[in-house]
Amino acid sequence: MYQYDLIDKEFLADRSAEFRGQVARRLSGELTEDQFKPLRLMNGLYLQLHAYMLRVAIPYGSLNSTQARRLAQIARDFDKGYGHFTTRQNIQFNWIKLKDAPEILDKLAEVDLHAIQTSGNCIRNTTSDPYAGATAEEVDDPRVWSEVIRQWSTLHPEFSFLPRKFKIAITASAKDRTAAKVHDIGLMLRQGRDGTLGFEVIVGGGQGRTPYVGPTIKQFLPTDRLLSYLEAVLRVYNRHGRRDNIYKARIKILVAALGAEEFARQVDEEWAKIDAARADLPTAELARIRAAFAKTPFETLPARSDAFETAKANDAAFARFVRNNVKPHKQPGYSIVEVSLKAQEQTPGDASAQQLEVVADLAERFSLNDLRVTHAQNLVLPHVKLDDLPTVFATLQASGLATPNIDLVSDIIACPGLDYCALANARAIPVAQDIARQFADLDRAEKVGELKIKISGCINACGHHHVAHIGILGVDKKGEEFYQLSLGGSGAEDASIGKILGPALPADKVATAVDQLVGAYLNVRNDGERFLDTYRRVGLEPFKEAVYAQAD
Amino acid sequence: MKAVVANRLIDGEVVFWKSGQWVERFGDAELFDAEAPVEHAVSVGKGQPTVVVDVYPIDLVQSDGRWAPLSYRERIRALGPTNEPTHGKQAEGGDVIEALRHAAGAARSTGRVDLIRRK
Repeated sequence: MYQYDLIDKEFLADRSAEFRGQVARRLSGELTEDQFKPLRLMNGLYLQLHAYMLRVAIPYGSLNSTQARRLAQIARDFDKGYGHFTTRQNIQFNWIKLKDAPEILDKLAEVDLHAIQTSGNCIRNTTSDPYAGATAEEVDDPRVWSEVIRQWSTLHPEFSFLPRKFKIAITASAKDRTAAKVHDIGLMLRQGRDGTLGFEVIVGGGQGRTPYVGPTIKQFLPTDRLLSYLEAVLRVYNRHGRRDNIYKARIKILVAALGAEEFARQVDEEWAKIDAARADLPTAELARIRAAFAKTPFETLPARSDAFETAKANDAAFARFVRNNVKPHKQPGYSIVEVSLKAQEQTPGDASAQQLEVVADLAERFSLNDLRVTHAQNLVLPHVKLDDLPTVFATLQASGLATPNIDLVSDIIACPGLDYCALANARAIPVAQDIARQFADLDRAEKVGELKIKISGCINACGHHHVAHIGILGVDKKGEEFYQLSLGGSGAEDASIGKILGPALPADKVATAVDQLVGAYLNVRNDGERFLDTYRRVGLEPFKEAVYAQAD
Repeated sequence: MKAVVANRLIDGEVVFWKSGQWVERFGDAELFDAEAPVEHAVSVGKGQPTVVVDVYPIDLVQSDGRWAPLSYRERIRALGPTNEPTHGKQAEGGDVIEALRHAAGAARSTGRVDLIRRK
């Protein structure tokens, strides 16, 4: 894991002191709300329905146990005892008081955390694969490149006032766990024929009111040219992005208007003007960053663990957990453990202070002091020995953290919605809870298989509904909550935007409709087909029929 | 019938106008049946930038013989999040909270409409 040096630490302490002064000036009236709002947003502090909300950055979704414990302490001391993990691998606290915010930033800075790049029209916190450094699928460790981008983009003077926010995701595996194709820039690390590494650069994907799967504008960017190329992309966007209209200000609108080819040409033209020696990362600096991630102290273990095999054979609940939440590790004798934050009746993505502490302890004792956040609002213990899995499972189970439902129907992404968010039109959380209740039977959920349901409370799509196998969008129909269903989206390597199923449904009909959709799928699926595969083969009609036929 | 709402600057708490003061409970809010005093309260609130932000009037509807915010959004603001029934103002319970929970009115919140317009 990357360690902040003295300069980083001083910088965070200064930043926190600066914000303390800004808050004092706001409270005394020296700053107006219009002057103060951009300053608080630059520190991740939003005003929501009931209180201020503080969004804390978790760079590429990676935490150590000290940091996780500090988040638990903040949840307990300054919030109502919980935090909410977001679809960008960050954490939000819902009940923050403005007067406490500077003290919270101090406490975060003590453990190398902050709220920079979690709001505003800057390059936001870069997201990456939660299995980084643990999966055998990756061609390189994407955290190295995420950290390079973090250092380059943090408070970058040229890119602090972009036309709109700017989000980058990096994956180094063919299986994409970052939704890279629906980011402003998605970087997919690939190995070239000659063995060298390069990025496939995808630009102009996005969700919100105008969803796009981003086109590839460069098939193979040599890794040592990453920063100059990003600079060129950002420059073209900064110059030509639509500052006149907030709905058209994201880079996706510019890329779509120009066409990918013309956009790529302009980027290449700009790239040619950039002095590579200034803009690109020196080899020595890359080596320094790489070294920080190379030191994972794995033990040499046999690939097979008797303790693990015995537990699996004797305990059906453990075996189910292993089937759904445990993933293969690159290192013999180790595994990747997904910790679901989607238990029955739990708010998707919420973790209590006590749960955070339990997971922090497990990370420290059993996962080489490493903890990850996924964009699907779950946690990951990336380096757990097979021998330790039964103990880890029992500890998770005792704290309601062993729900064996990763990527199953009840592993639902939901934004905070109208329960918390000032922008929302409708609630998302209770709808997710209704659906999870409908599919509480784990045997049935496993029979249904991979099914990604994602719910947003407004068109801004924080709940990723456009790229869900079943997407649910809350809409406001004359002040009442209605929900529009869409099918066939994917945020993974086979990315696609879902198609609207039909007229929006009232809240109490949504879980039933999902049940009808699942019924229709089970009727027509071929062997081995996921819900998404079946939809892609048979199209919208059978599903439409299942939901709307009786209603007519 | 109308009331006037805001967020308190120092902590973000939802507050309601009551005869020149800002109170935390909807049950204590001043209810207006004329436009002029509503406009007066909003204008006084907007003149207190170190006390409150986002001051606007809300429409009310009758529920269980009491008044409740007409829009769903404003009922959630007066209660707290529906996924955590012990968090926020609803935690203390009582008749007013129950009336808010049972209210069935539907309309867009003026605060929400203003938010969209501002963008």
